[in-house]
Amino acid sequence: MRSVRTMFVIYLALIVAGLAYAIALGVLEH
Amino acid sequence: MPRFARDNGLSLAFGAIFLATLIGQAISGADTFNHGQALHNGDPISLGHYVTSAVFWADVMENWQSEYLQFTLYIFATIWLIQKGSNESKKPDRVGRESDEQQRLAAHAQPDSPRWARAGSWRTTVFSNSLLLVMTAIWIASWLAQSLAGRIVYNAEQLDHQAATVSWPTYVTTADFWNRTLQNWQSEFLAIGSMAILSVFLRQRGSPESKPVGAPHAETASSG
Repeated sequence: MRSVRTMFVIYLALIVAGLAYAIALGVLEH
Repeated sequence: MPRFARDNGLSLAFGAIFLATLIGQAISGADTFNHGQALHNGDPISLGHYVTSAVFWADVMENWQSEYLQFTLYIFATIWLIQKGSNESKKPDRVGRESDEQQRLAAHAQPDSPRWARAGSWRTTVFSNSLLLVMTAIWIASWLAQSLAGRIVYNAEQLDHQAATVSWPTYVTTADFWNRTLQNWQSEFLAIGSMAILSVFLRQRGSPESKPVGAPHAETASSG
């Protein structure tokens, strides 16, 4: 299960990074 | 095949095609953008500039939010609504949040149940809704991101045509924002509705998204 947990963390990290970048871009670039 | 790849085949395969298509979107999007620039006597921009721009991220977030809304709604709706004969639905006698015994909670937990399923109190309440909570959070964050990035793109267009820019609260009431939003929602809802009803009468041998080939059409909630 450790490898599955690693995959779970990679997916969540990827999603959070994308969301954080897009929100920061939208807030800072106006 | 290495154990990691075998154990995570689905998430690896979809993660790979996600990245490949995101790159494809970036390349074709930059080309489209530069085509527009050329038509308006503007300077072309680099791929690096494009993938860090609001134009690219508004498009990415617009699609993310609709996908996460689709799953969020489906997770929520399937607690309460059923589709007779569909393997996407649960059985009619299990409508609702079900008993602690059916959900293997608290006293009914197994030794290897997750700790928060055994814990009781607020931990079990949070864990019992964690999938819906996280999917909802991603949907709201991506819809917010779409609106923030979409406003920048909208205002840039306005400035290009010597028109007034709009604030964020105004942008979320514009036809541009709702057109971008609803054109994605409609396709998600159609796809998910068709999946629920087509899986009653159609089969794919070997897929858990289908009933077993020999399962009767009236059989609900079987997978194979």
